[in-house]
Amino acid sequence: MTATLPSTSAPDRIWTIGTPRLLAGLEHATRLDHAHHLVTHGGRPDVTLDRLLELLDGARLTGRGGAGFPLAAKLRALHGGHGEVVVNGSESEPASWKDRTLLRRTPHLVLDGALSVAAALGTRSVTVAVHDAAAARSTEAALRERPDARRVKVVRTGGAFVAGEARALVRGLRGGPALPPGRRTPPTEHGALVANAETFAQLAVLLRLGARGYADTGTSAEPGTTLLTVSGAVSRPGVVEVPLGTPLEIVVRAAGAERPQAIVLGGYHGAWLTPGADVAIARNGPGPSVGAGIVLVVDDATCALGELARVSGWLAEQSARQCGPCRFGLPALAADVAAVAHGHPAATAHAARHLSLIAGRGACGHPDGAARFVDTGLTALTDELARHAAGGCGRPVLGQLPIGGTR
Amino acid sequence: MSAPTASLHVDWTRCDGHGLCAELLPSRITRDEWGFPLVAATQVGPDERRAAERAVSLCPALALRLSAS
Repeated sequence: MTATLPSTSAPDRIWTIGTPRLLAGLEHATRLDHAHHLVTHGGRPDVTLDRLLELLDGARLTGRGGAGFPLAAKLRALHGGHGEVVVNGSESEPASWKDRTLLRRTPHLVLDGALSVAAALGTRSVTVAVHDAAAARSTEAALRERPDARRVKVVRTGGAFVAGEARALVRGLRGGPALPPGRRTPPTEHGALVANAETFAQLAVLLRLGARGYADTGTSAEPGTTLLTVSGAVSRPGVVEVPLGTPLEIVVRAAGAERPQAIVLGGYHGAWLTPGADVAIARNGPGPSVGAGIVLVVDDATCALGELARVSGWLAEQSARQCGPCRFGLPALAADVAAVAHGHPAATAHAARHLSLIAGRGACGHPDGAARFVDTGLTALTDELARHAAGGCGRPVLGQLPIGGTR
Repeated sequence: MSAPTASLHVDWTRCDGHGLCAELLPSRITRDEWGFPLVAATQVGPDERRAAERAVSLCPALALRLSAS
């Protein structure tokens, strides 16, 4: 697949709101090698499994790959025994750069977290799954820079959207197809602790700060910081570390968004929001989740409905084509959205019917996430829908929402 | 004493939309516009248990399961 429209600039800059933790030391360095890592963060603490669980419970550390599942619950589901630790750095969301940024620029923090979990579990099997070439090179270099990571493997992944799903990832690593399995069994049942790259970096910070120190920032329900990738129609795109609970409005303004028309929170399985929506950066709150930490701004220079239609088409292409309602439903839904953009009066009713036929009817979260993306888009873009019903908004589709390109 | 209930599950990676289940268990299963099953309510009571078991065993793709709930 090739991108036919110019995509937004790569958000490879970093900035922070509040004190950086994961991004500490990167203000003046492109990459923290092991020596710089030790100066910035200190050595890797080793803990017992009991102590690790206590820390994770105390800090309420949740996964940063999107689902926001408590890491302690994943560890407990392993039922002891030997296991393997998998760092999911495949980052298959087109608008996410945070995991490759961590692995490119502060890989030792991620490795610290993974090695400490492995030590607590009594396993030496650690795999870093990564799609981005520069992130893979940086991780491999990091393994050579430190004495305690000889057994860690780096595996390059294909990068398809659904291949980043934890169960699909483990299947792929074990020589099978990188597709979600039909039965909804978690990877822990197969002895694998799979967590997002940022989750391991957060854990490395937690091991050093302790649960109380970790909770110095963030909210009581969700302590600590989180990484966001902020891009789209902003003057300061980048990977951003913010305290959990920060108002989205503050992030969007700090990123230099002018005249936002809509905001996409949580990536292409996430939600469209109207500008000024009272939403905080959170994963398990009452409002929409930041998912993998993606914030995208769509401004009024572009046709927002066209942006929605374009990503809807991409989501349909990303179906693994295993499950009927996803395979047939997502293309039908994408066609509906395109018809809405062309002002066909019956198209919104068709979209509503197709939406009801998609969610909850697949082996993985892709149909549900794609349906949520379209549903919230059609809801948030009320004014835009009215303009299109009356003949169009007159704006070009600029491609402010990046899609896969050559991935 | 009530008999234990069971619930119907579709393995969507196996289902090819043959539609036999909808014919054998019309009270619970209809088909969407692409032919794939729409399960009205997954809980199956004792009165429908036999029909549900038949639908499960005759599914050509082995995609329908009935499990204790």
